[in-house]
Amino acid sequence: MINLEFIINTLSLGSLYAMLALGLVIVYGILRLVNFAYGELIMIGGYTLYLLTGFTPLPWLFVAFLAVIVSMLTSLATELVAFRPVREKSLTAMLITSFAVSTLLQNAALLIISPRARAVTLPQIFQKSVLIAGTDVPWRNILTILTSIFMLALLTLLLKRTVLGIALRAAADNFRMTRMLGVPANTVISSAFAISGIMAGIVSIFWIGRSASVTPTLGAPPLLVAFVATVIGGMRSLTGAVVGGFVYAIIISLLGIFLPPDLLEFREAFMFVFVIIILLFRPEGLIRSKTSVERVG
Amino acid sequence: MFKKVRLWTALISLLILSLLLSACGGAQQEGTIKIGAALCLTGIQAPLDEPALKGAQLAVEEINKKGGVLGKKLELINLDGKSDPVTVGNAAVQLIEQGAKAIITPSDFDFGGPASREAQKAGLVGISPAASSPFFGSKALGDKQFTMSMWNTTMGAAAAQYAREQGWDTAYVVTDDFIQYTKDLGQYFVEHFKTLGGTVVFEEKYTQGAADFSAQLARIKALPEMPDFFYISSYMPDLGLIIRTMREAGITQPILGGDSYDDPGLFQALGPEYGNDIVFVTHTWVSPDTSPQMAEFLKAYEAKYGGPPEAMWAATGWDVVHILAGAMEKAGSTDGAAMAKAMEDNTWDLLTGQLDWEASDKGHETHKQAAMVRLNAGVPEFLGWLMPESQPAP
Repeated sequence: MINLEFIINTLSLGSLYAMLALGLVIVYGILRLVNFAYGELIMIGGYTLYLLTGFTPLPWLFVAFLAVIVSMLTSLATELVAFRPVREKSLTAMLITSFAVSTLLQNAALLIISPRARAVTLPQIFQKSVLIAGTDVPWRNILTILTSIFMLALLTLLLKRTVLGIALRAAADNFRMTRMLGVPANTVISSAFAISGIMAGIVSIFWIGRSASVTPTLGAPPLLVAFVATVIGGMRSLTGAVVGGFVYAIIISLLGIFLPPDLLEFREAFMFVFVIIILLFRPEGLIRSKTSVERVG
Repeated sequence: MFKKVRLWTALISLLILSLLLSACGGAQQEGTIKIGAALCLTGIQAPLDEPALKGAQLAVEEINKKGGVLGKKLELINLDGKSDPVTVGNAAVQLIEQGAKAIITPSDFDFGGPASREAQKAGLVGISPAASSPFFGSKALGDKQFTMSMWNTTMGAAAAQYAREQGWDTAYVVTDDFIQYTKDLGQYFVEHFKTLGGTVVFEEKYTQGAADFSAQLARIKALPEMPDFFYISSYMPDLGLIIRTMREAGITQPILGGDSYDDPGLFQALGPEYGNDIVFVTHTWVSPDTSPQMAEFLKAYEAKYGGPPEAMWAATGWDVVHILAGAMEKAGSTDGAAMAKAMEDNTWDLLTGQLDWEASDKGHETHKQAAMVRLNAGVPEFLGWLMPESQPAP
């Protein structure tokens, strides 16, 4: 069963999960905050796709671009309105705020649009497959892989070659020291949220590309995947997030194939057993960061 | 000082809020018959319950226009069950305290059961518009508890019989193990399909929310021979993902399923490209030519909501209120036991077909025809009514 089609499908899933995990970890790295409203950014991206493809004549590529922008703006707005006021208080306050933002956004979608699933019109290329070595491979899977490679390259470039990137990395290593050296905290944190929002927006296109529908509760499964992937890969390292995303996809796909039929319904349970085993041997995840300073104030 | 001021503002706003809330609660008219509903307007149950509530509200208005029931007006109070069994149960308790004479419960055994148990405790009729589990009846919940839906035994059997009538011998079954409904339905289909001489190639599992079907797909693609059709017991939103994943990979075999397919969101998500050869068993066909009753319902619905019902579930809400009103009229009172007896003793002519309940010692099993619908290029078409000749035991 492990043929080319399966490998491409798993790689595509891994790419999607890697982008998901990156968006979550970039905020965690700096604020030590697991943003539980992250899934809702994907949901917002999805509803933007639904509204703009369904009710405007805009070309699809432009709509996709707008979805990413709207996700990013939502992410920035939540930081400004919800997280910034409580940032100096405590980590717990921020964590609870993130739950509140998540509930708020979910219910907003529910009230404004509908609790029922809405269909998103997809571009033609999302309905097409290409014949590779005798099997039909959906274009969407290939596009997912290509997009994630592009985004990884872009992000690496940003982090390694720009002042903002250096500030972001420095802040992730030791936020207090970075601030003392004159880097404005608000700018760094806002940038992290913006990047997180962009990742969520891009993920929303491909996540919804698979089901062609969006619901208010769409954000929960990707949030869980992102969270587990970062725990596997290492919460403090961007490389870890990528590795975690791929490891998650590979383990879950292999479990799906090799578990006997009677045990298939416990696939997630086996998955979490693997996570526990990984954490027993590598409590900080597969990739350790050089420094591991707790967040201060 | 600052803290004190804040405390005061908080207290005052709380006071105002509670006043507002009690004002809402106090706005009940005297001399009405109250029907309580614990339908879920939020959470995963909302896609079924929200349209049902709209249908129920419309039915109450229409009945009141015609003079009400037993000389009194009906009043429908809904408390959001929030797709949480405990909240649903609490909502029912509160509704009973407010004087509800019957309880409409969410359309699922897991979510609707708690409201029915409370209704039974208070000696009231509890009825679910579309819970299809065989547990939703007098055996598990009590002698005044009903569901209006055909049971999953009928729903599974109808699909099995349809498949055999098409001359299909082999089935590949995918069962979503997230809720009782999909598990039951898959199981009854398998049982009945085997009874009718079919072969089940493999029983695949999927869990709602996993949002990935690639491992299952790999197993399907590795089959030495494609089955005649697939039976997929799941629901939205992941149902769309499963079917799209299969169709994208070039699997064109027919797909069969239950009432959870009856969702315009799914039809559009599949589109003309993938929405082909999909047949499902559901409660009714919403079109003016189904029955004169349906035409009347659609006209009233358009007038009230400014458009056609978003989903078939609206018809189930309308039916449930008409059954309760009819039972009150026939029993001549709002007494729970008398209403339950009237519901058992009569045959009901509904938007969702003809309905006959067994007595409470037979579990209030429903005898109801199934509506068969096929998706063609993303557009549903009515195949007709089907009453399975036999069905598995619950």
